[in-house]
Amino acid sequence: MKHLNSKTLLIALLIISGYGYFVSCTRNDSLIVPLQLNPPFTASRGNNVHLPGNMTAGNTTEWKMDKSHSSVLWSTNYVGAAGLLTGRFNQFGMHDVTTAKMLTYPANGQPLKDTSWAFYESDPAKTYFNGYVQINTSNTGEPGRDTGCNVAGMNTVKIRQGIQNLSDTNLAKIKTTKVEFDPNSNGYIVTLDLTWHNKYSSTVALTPITKSIVGHLSYVTKKTVTPATGTPYDVFGLQLKFSFNCRDFEITSTSISDKIDIECNMNFNNK
Amino acid sequence: MDTNFFKYLQQLEVMAFFSGFPLLYALVIVVVGYLQKKPEVKKKLISLLPYTYAVVGTLYIGLQIRNLYPNYAFENIKNSILHPFLFFWACLSISFYLPVINKRIVLSLLHSLVFFFILLKDLFINISQKSGEDNSIVRNDMKIYTDSLLLNTGVYFLTILIVFFLVPLIKKLKTLRSHKIPNRF
Repeated sequence: MKHLNSKTLLIALLIISGYGYFVSCTRNDSLIVPLQLNPPFTASRGNNVHLPGNMTAGNTTEWKMDKSHSSVLWSTNYVGAAGLLTGRFNQFGMHDVTTAKMLTYPANGQPLKDTSWAFYESDPAKTYFNGYVQINTSNTGEPGRDTGCNVAGMNTVKIRQGIQNLSDTNLAKIKTTKVEFDPNSNGYIVTLDLTWHNKYSSTVALTPITKSIVGHLSYVTKKTVTPATGTPYDVFGLQLKFSFNCRDFEITSTSISDKIDIECNMNFNNK
Repeated sequence: MDTNFFKYLQQLEVMAFFSGFPLLYALVIVVVGYLQKKPEVKKKLISLLPYTYAVVGTLYIGLQIRNLYPNYAFENIKNSILHPFLFFWACLSISFYLPVINKRIVLSLLHSLVFFFILLKDLFINISQKSGEDNSIVRNDMKIYTDSLLLNTGVYFLTILIVFFLVPLIKKLKTLRSHKIPNRF
């Protein structure tokens, strides 16, 4: 009897302990909510349309490129390995410079109207733009470099005062072929043709090279500016970023890396 | 901080020492019943259970003395002990050193069941509550219960070691020494 009681006690204690362990080791069922680390991007674009028209002064429906507040910047790794070499182009514009227009213009301001563009915020298929830079106006803040190795290395000629040099030896230009929405931002994916000259030779005819490049365009939405004096006006901005391989354009300088980054910051107003 | 928390800690403390004893008791009684040993050995193995319990009680009192150090004033003890009944009951475990009490082995089981009932109470509350509710208390209890089981088992085997090996060895050494003494003359 005593033995049976001990066994009963043992069984009871084992059952109780077993139940305790079972409960303590059981996880409560909880709803598993998948973690969304990167929520899908939701675009918030407006319907602004900006067109240059004839850039008539005072016509608020025609947008003018504000060159003095815009810039075309470049950067590349020095000798392909060190820190960045940076600079800007002093002369640039937004005009489709056709072969016929590749000339030298006796002018101090813009030689051609900056009218070769259109921007449709919600309809990128209609958006397009053209642009150019004068290679010899690259400005690194080091005159010795800008008028020295830059001119020789880029196979161009020195700046002549009062002349806007859009000749093929001094011109790099872009022309968009496709603009579409960027699914991950409010910006746009831009496919463009970059055209630059071949290595200059006094004996061989120049054969400009064109490469298709993909860049990213951001739109800084229209805002109204109220100056201290004068009438209020509207402004907006476009920022284009892209990279290209300068070896594709037969640039052999070892002072720069293969990859060159370009950033175009264009400001427009409707004054 | 709420004193309930400290109360709960003291309850876990007392459980850590004594709640595992009933299972050890039942295991020893059943296992020894099956052992092919002399009845005296079996009796001795069972009779060690109250001593084991008393040793565990001594360890508990030692911990309380350490916790109260250096202020052993009655006021401090009164304020520090948040479960007076459990504390008093746990201290009574050292009475199992007394032959009068430890002769009745089942008393050690009955004494320790008080602490086991705390675990039982928490399990009962867990059964009665809705499924899916927090079972942290039972989880704590079972961790403490496991520790207690290990402590009691350890102390029991230590007691066996002392009683069956160390004490006979000492006795043997003493006998040997007493036999050697006349040879020196």
